[in-house]
Amino acid sequence: MPGFDFSNYNRNAALHARGVPLPKATSTGTTIVGCIYDGGVVIAADTRATSGPIVADKNCEKLHYISSNIWCAGAGTAADTEFTTSLISSQLELHSLSTGRKPRVVTCMTLLKQHLFRYQGHIGAYLVVAGVDPTGTHLFTVHAHGSTDKLPYVTMGSGSLAAMSVFETQWKAHLTQDEAVKLCADAIESGIWNDLGSGSNVDVAIITPEKTILKRNYIKPNERTQKLKSYVFPKGTTAVLNEKIIRKQDIGNFVTIHDLAEEAPAGGDKMEVDT
Amino acid sequence: MSMFSQNPLMNGPNYSFSETPRVGAPEGAREHRFDPYTDNGGSTLAIAGADFTIMAGDTRLTSGYSINSRFHRKVFKIGGTTTDQHDAHLVLSVVGFAADGEALMERVDAMCKMYRYRHGRPISVKACAQRLSTILYNKRFFPYYAYAILGGLDEEGKGAVYSYDPVGSYEREQCRAGGAAASLIMPFLDNQVNFKNQFIPGSGEGHALQERERRPLTRQEVEVLVKDAFDGAVERHIEVGDGLQMMVITNKGIEEIILPLKRD
Amino acid sequence: MDTLVARYSRPAYQQENQFDDIEEYDYAADSVSGPSLKFAMPPVAHPSSWLRAATDDRSNPHCPIKIAHGTTTLAFRFQGGIIVATDSRATAGNWIASQTVKKVIEINSDLLGTMAGGAADCQYWLAWLGMQCRLHELRHKRRISVAAASKILANLVYQYKGMGLSMGTMCAGVTKEEGPALYYIDSDGTRLAGNLFCVGSGQTFAYGVLDAEYRYDLTVEEALELGSRSILAATHRDAYSGGFINLYHVKESGWEKHGFTDTNPVFWKTKLEKAEFSNVTSDFSEEV
Repeated sequence: MPGFDFSNYNRNAALHARGVPLPKATSTGTTIVGCIYDGGVVIAADTRATSGPIVADKNCEKLHYISSNIWCAGAGTAADTEFTTSLISSQLELHSLSTGRKPRVVTCMTLLKQHLFRYQGHIGAYLVVAGVDPTGTHLFTVHAHGSTDKLPYVTMGSGSLAAMSVFETQWKAHLTQDEAVKLCADAIESGIWNDLGSGSNVDVAIITPEKTILKRNYIKPNERTQKLKSYVFPKGTTAVLNEKIIRKQDIGNFVTIHDLAEEAPAGGDKMEVDT
Repeated sequence: MSMFSQNPLMNGPNYSFSETPRVGAPEGAREHRFDPYTDNGGSTLAIAGADFTIMAGDTRLTSGYSINSRFHRKVFKIGGTTTDQHDAHLVLSVVGFAADGEALMERVDAMCKMYRYRHGRPISVKACAQRLSTILYNKRFFPYYAYAILGGLDEEGKGAVYSYDPVGSYEREQCRAGGAAASLIMPFLDNQVNFKNQFIPGSGEGHALQERERRPLTRQEVEVLVKDAFDGAVERHIEVGDGLQMMVITNKGIEEIILPLKRD
Repeated sequence: MDTLVARYSRPAYQQENQFDDIEEYDYAADSVSGPSLKFAMPPVAHPSSWLRAATDDRSNPHCPIKIAHGTTTLAFRFQGGIIVATDSRATAGNWIASQTVKKVIEINSDLLGTMAGGAADCQYWLAWLGMQCRLHELRHKRRISVAAASKILANLVYQYKGMGLSMGTMCAGVTKEEGPALYYIDSDGTRLAGNLFCVGSGQTFAYGVLDAEYRYDLTVEEALELGSRSILAATHRDAYSGGFINLYHVKESGWEKHGFTDTNPVFWKTKLEKAEFSNVTSDFSEEV
């Protein structure tokens, strides 16, 4: 059966009633913004993902691809924004293929709101939808319960008030692209500094009728400070009672081995390691 | 008879709290929620050395996702003769609910002043530590929401750190982290101050491997550890940041150092 | 000295009011710094319900104040006196607040108390008991019996029944009149005399070892080893117990400390030299 699997729902509800805490979802207690300018639309996001008061990811991506001319910024439950946008992206691609037309932003927005409304807010996705299509430039917000707005500049997430204060004081009609990017970046930075749920870097996407430019880590105002001391331990610091070495040829008994020609770039960023 | 046990996995009538009768309140009637506490975030840290003690805390004050102040002190000099505490010899750090912490600090400070007035000499850390415990316990049924750490030099001039729970149980320790990022900083301290889980490479096979010997850290080493501990906490805890306030207690007096931390 | 005795010699229920007249100057009250019976109360109709919501991490896992709890303690009588042994771990929720807690409280040079439940409750009221024992000595010019001392504590906690105190403690002492005497007191008001008690979340594990090996005619050396081994068993199986083994021997001449020993090396020594704890192995099983 397609869709969600509810088979553990009753069990988990019963456990929760007996005081077992529910697992904490990673949430992007976020600042996301969008702003229309003459000739396109800009959306931007911070890059902090939190789990309660703990920073789960210092450089996550909150700008999601829908189609080449439509992008989404997501706040709320990380998994929900990720899967909802990719689901709607797929549906929109199929729709586009069957109609033979370029996808429209309103279509995307409508699919999203209908999907989210059906789940009555249980899918915790709060989105900024932006794009350019044959009908013009569009900017929407979609809330988890299914309501939507259409505005020239929008903010969402826990840092939405901090970001909106920037728009309310500095926004004017007929911005240039550079002004719109600067305004959005400033709004995100305001969230980064003043909202605890937001932090780290600024990601920006500029959507024009011709193309979309994704500026990942457009501003990095929070580079990690260098440790004052080396915390490298000499080899043998950790006590070992016993060891067993499984050689490469023996691993073949358990799994299939593919030799990689060179250092293949794995997905994601390289982990920060002290030296 | 209900034998005493506080294992949370054991259900049934074995814990005095669960037997508390709900007196009076008529069915359905609900008292207006009395909620006198806010968690103001932040973290503190104290390390005792051979002839010094360093007490530190970040200077951010939060409530929820908001920053209420980027420069609010959690570490206080106490027991001086004047309001500027220029001749203080003890340091108290408080974290938890800022209002309770400050009220507690003011009570302990007043107590230290009274002691000086009555006895004609400053209070010892040991005596102050015991008194702070009773002050906290006097509010056992309406606790101060504050995790306190008291630092100073003992009668022999050695660094002393006393740490408390909110209702006054206390213990003298070598080092202690408190507050929001305590669970991030304390394991680091166990490893770097008390050398926990560190062994001397090649000193033996299997069980004969020797633990790394503990040695007193120098003031410079401790200052570096404190800064690195907070830099680490700032990276991963949203309620910690803005500034680092350090108090270094030596026999020459108390030196205050303030350093910047990340502000996001 | 007589004035001091007079000041503190009223029974507990009268003492409750002794600071009323000087309450206006809070700092004057501060200077009378011994454990007192005057507590600040929250301004609500049902303080105990409120306190439970704010501090009991079991009924409310998100409570703002986590109170440190103590864990495995034991004491037993034998021909050579009394052995008192504890672990040293303090937990607040799932957090190990400390691995170096002194859970044996030295009430005075003859009497020992143990700490399980609320750490602050035990520390405070056993210190208070120490004060009462000293006053008894001053008043009656002889040492207090263990029975009397334990009864003072039991009566005190009974007065506070239902208020949320949480303690399970043992009082151990050896007097000429009583011989080795051991009492269990908890915050419900229970007071029991007995040969052998284990208290705390690791009690069952400690009882397992202690009951199997216990005899009244144990030698001092055997008794110390048994106390230590019982705590070791508890720290091994109970996640809320651990740290160091705190060992005491109480004799008529007073108590004697027998070390504060890290459990980890003791565990490995016990395993390797006595071939116990065979459940623990570092061998890699070929089947896996």
